[in-house]
Order: sequence, then structure tokens, then C-alpha cells
Amino acid sequence: MLSVRKILKTFNKGTINEKQALNGISLQLAAGDFVTVIGSNGAGKSTLLNSIAGDFLIDQGEIRIASYEITGWPQYKRASLVSRVFQDPMRGTAASMTIEENMVMALRRGQSRRLRRAISVKEREYFRGELRKLGLGLEDRLTNKVSLLSGGQRQALTLLMATLREPKLILLDEHTAALDPKTAEKVLDLTCRVAAENRLTTLMITHNLDHALSVGNRTIMMHEGRIILDLREGERANMTINRLFEMFEKASGSHIHNDRMILA
Amino acid sequence: MSWQVFSGTLEQGLMYAIMVLGVYLTFRVLDYADLTVDGSFTLGAAIAARLIFSGQNPWLASGLAFLGGLLAGAFTGVLHTKFKITPLLSGILTMTALYSVNLRIMGRPNIPLLRLRTIFSDVAQLPFMERYGVLVLSLITVLILGHFLYLFLETEIGIALRATGDNEVMIRSQGVNTDRMKILGLSLSNGMVAFAGSYVAQNQQFADASMGIGMIIAGLASVIIGEVLIGTTTIRRTILAVIFGAVVYRVIIALVLQLGLAPTDLKLVTSIIVIIALTSPGIKKRIFTRSGSRVGKEEN
Ligand SMILES: Nc1ncnc2c1ncn2[C@@H]1O[C@H](COP(=O)(O)OP(=O)(O)O)[C@@H](O)[C@H]1O
Ligand SMILES: [Mg+2]
Repeated sequence: MLSVRKILKTFNKGTINEKQALNGISLQLAAGDFVTVIGSNGAGKSTLLNSIAGDFLIDQGEIRIASYEITGWPQYKRASLVSRVFQDPMRGTAASMTIEENMVMALRRGQSRRLRRAISVKEREYFRGELRKLGLGLEDRLTNKVSLLSGGQRQALTLLMATLREPKLILLDEHTAALDPKTAEKVLDLTCRVAAENRLTTLMITHNLDHALSVGNRTIMMHEGRIILDLREGERANMTINRLFEMFEKASGSHIHNDRMILA
Repeated sequence: MSWQVFSGTLEQGLMYAIMVLGVYLTFRVLDYADLTVDGSFTLGAAIAARLIFSGQNPWLASGLAFLGGLLAGAFTGVLHTKFKITPLLSGILTMTALYSVNLRIMGRPNIPLLRLRTIFSDVAQLPFMERYGVLVLSLITVLILGHFLYLFLETEIGIALRATGDNEVMIRSQGVNTDRMKILGLSLSNGMVAFAGSYVAQNQQFADASMGIGMIIAGLASVIIGEVLIGTTTIRRTILAVIFGAVVYRVIIALVLQLGLAPTDLKLVTSIIVIIALTSPGIKKRIFTRSGSRVGKEEN
């Protein structure tokens, strides 16, 4: 479903701030794969997801989704294939607009927008039904502005929006990291449920090693813009968090000095 | 204030409200500080005056004024989106260029329209319209435009445009070409501003190359006054609010004139109104945090 081949991406080329964020990374995902991505801060995890979503163009390499070669596509065009949820709950929704307006924008993701009334009565009922499934009471607040919602509610809404129009690929960048632990678990449960229900192909960055191994069917570890570990099936099932640390040190030849990862 | 002064003020308020709708569209909906307005207002007046002066149909002339404004706004939009010039500078560039363009169009610094056929002289010939023609035509125009703006902002394209002003990252990740939305918004906005310019010129029966100076601040003052007095809970309410704000602004100006201030002091008064609005904490809070978008923006 997703094929990333030998991507190079350097930020601030030719300045003292030059930073090679992606270093010839390759990755193939089959349809329905749910891959968790771990790695220390600055490993290039976000840059990988951002380059797939098209926040910027890559320097070299190739990106394919389904049968499309999207390497040179502008971001808005990729939206027909990819949806995403960011770490910051503010980024995924328009605060001054209502819940139903936000949802209808997501429902039209990747389609051309026309000069017709945005929300039909039928769609409103559909939104109500989908919101009810979240179990957050949002189904009665369709015309509330999103600015009135809590961070967790906003993130749950963003996640729902990301799946309203089934994407070929969904990108989750530490999407539970800004939430309190209880809400984070709720949103993660929701993530697993919608991914399973729709058999979504998913890339999920997490700094929680426990989640990294328990959620999804495959785990990759990144370091300095490359994949240094790719765990599946039996190997993954037998993996423990402690052994994951050891393997990280062995594969990268360095010690983890990132307390965020150790604390996770 | 005499009835005559009052009805004149009302006429002006409603006429300028057409412009304020445009200012609302960029400043509030798109969150884009567009300074094209000073130039496009005069552009509309210049186009209409020139055409009317050379004997063209005034309705056609007003329509072409609208069209001219559309183009001016699109130009600013292209400068900003395609050439990555900041919003402020893009507007200033167009505004400055328009100053020369407007003089070219007019062929001289001002054109008198005395005793020529205008949209208002046409309306005045209808029954009962001799006295209130200007008022009625301005009211109908602003209500129709306001209604269309409301309908537009509730369409698929309209909400994509609003989202572009609220959270660009989000709406782009939903597949909207935000560059196009900005160009569209700026274009429509300046179309309305130029249209207002053509009305004002026909009402005062002359066009002048400097009549647009300070228009943007007058527009902003009207938007703020309306928002504070009426509120912004829904789009419909906000549109009515800015129309109302435009009228109140004109009333304030008329009162200031009655107090004996010279017309040349008006720009100072207008700036002071806006400065007070922008610096007084209570008002600021109402304007800048209610929508939520400006709060969210800082966190992005
Ligand atoms: N837009 C950018 N401009 C400059 N440098 C960037 C940008 N995005 C990421 N980087 C740099 O690239 C490296 C990888 O960052 P990132 O992909 O965000 O890491 P992480 O694995 O923590 O998500 C970091 O050194 C970061 O500073
Ligand atoms: Mg990151």
C-alpha cells in the first residue's frame, strides 16, 4: 500500500544548521498493516511522516501510495490518499468552526469543493451517528464551536475526521502524547478500533514502548534518518521493552540518552 | 442632528457597509490584513466615473467597477501566494500601483458627475423614490450582498475559505488548495470594496484619486464596532453586525463633525477609535478570543 524508497531529506542545506533528517530510508507497508514507529528524539520519525504527507518535497527517492507515484505531488493533492492526526490537538481542527463544519470538511477530503450548501440533513444524521460511537456526548453538540472542546475531545474528533472518508494510509504522529494518561488510553483504544474496523493501513509514531509493541502488527525503530530495527510476527511477539532497549543500543552503536524514551 | 443629516448619514453608512463586508471577508474570515482596499475603493470609483462621464450605462459601469476590484484583489493574492510576499506588503504594493492606475483610468485627478445619469438618478425616477432612492438602493444592495456572502460562506467552498483563515495546516491536509482560497477571498473582498467605491462616487457625484485614503481603517473600525455591539456567535449574526457597525461608524463621524471638528480631522478620529478598540482589554478580549481561532493560532 505504501512504498518508500531510498528517501533523502536534508534541512537547511548549505548552512551551518544543515541537518540530514532522512538518510536513504526505505519502507514497504502492505494493505492493513499497522506499524508503530519508535526512535529517539530527532531520529527523523516526524520527518518521515511529513514527507509522505507532502509538507515538503524530498531531495531524492520515491514515494508510492497504492498505485500512485506521489513523490512530486503537492500536499493538498495527497490528501485524497492520506489522512493524519498530529500531536497538538489544536492542529487537526478549525477552532472557530462548528463540529459539523469540521466533519464535513473531512468528509470531502481530497474531493473538489463546490458552490453548494456544505451540510445536508442526511450528512448531519450520519455525523451524529459517528459521534455517538465515540461515547463522548458530542452527538448533541454538532453546532458547537470546536474551541469549546477539551484536548482529548478534539483529538478524538480529529481521529474520527481522519477516517470519515477512508484513507489509503493514516499517519499518526504521537497523537496521544499531549493528552493526560487516561484520555490518551481512550484515544489509543479508539485508534485501534477504527483501524481494525476499516482495516486501515497505519503508521503510528509513539514514544511509549509499551504501546509500540502492544498495538499494531509491526514495529520499526529509527535512528539518524534510517530504520535500524524492523520487528514482525514471532520476533515482535517475543520482544520485551528491556530487550528493545538492548537492541537499540546494539544496532545504533550508541547509548540512549533520551529520557523521554527511557521514561516511556 | 437634523433629519436630513441623519438620513444622509444612514445612506453613507449603508453604502460604506458594502465595503465593510469586503473588509470583514479578508480581515476576519481569511485573517488577512489586506491593505489593497485603499486602492481598490478608488479603483471602483474611477472605473465607474470614467465610464459614466463618457456616457456609458451607470449600471454597467458599477458592474465593471466590481470586476476591476476582483482583479485588484486577485493581483494581491497572486503576489502573496505565488511569490511569497507578506500579506501586508502584497496589499501595499497593489495599493501603490493602483494609485497610478486610477489616475490613468480617470485621466485626471478628479471627475465630476454633476447632472449625469447615475444609478441613483435612475432610481430617483421611480415612484416614491425621489427622496429616499439613495437610501433604498443602498439598503437593498447591502442586504443582497450580505445575504449572498452568508450563503457563500455556508457552501463547501465557503467553509474551506473560512478554514483557510482559521487553521491552514488542517484544511490543506483535507485537500484544499489554500492559495486558491486566499486569492478567491481577496478577489471577492476587493470586488465589493470597488463596488462600494462606485456607489460613493455616484452618490457624491464625483470621483477623486485620493478618496480611498484611510478606507481600510474606516472599514476595520466599522467591523470592530459591529462585532462589539452585536456579537459574532454565528456567521449570519456577524454579517449583520458589520453592516450595523458601518452605519454606527458613520453616525459617530457625523456627530464628531457636529461637534465642530474639521473634516480633515476625521482620519485621526478614525485611527483613535481603532486604537482604543485594539488596546482596551475588555473590548480586545471580546474581539480576539471569542472565535477561538486567534487563540489557537498562537499555539500552532
Ligand atoms: N522543518 C524543519 N526544518 C529544519 N529542521 C528540521 C525540520 N523538521 C525536522 N528538522 C530536524 O530534522 C531532525 C529530525 O526531526 P524529526 O523528524 O522531527 O525527529 P523526530 O524523530 O523526533 O520526530 C531533527 O534534527 C530536527 O531538528
Ligand atoms: Mg517528532
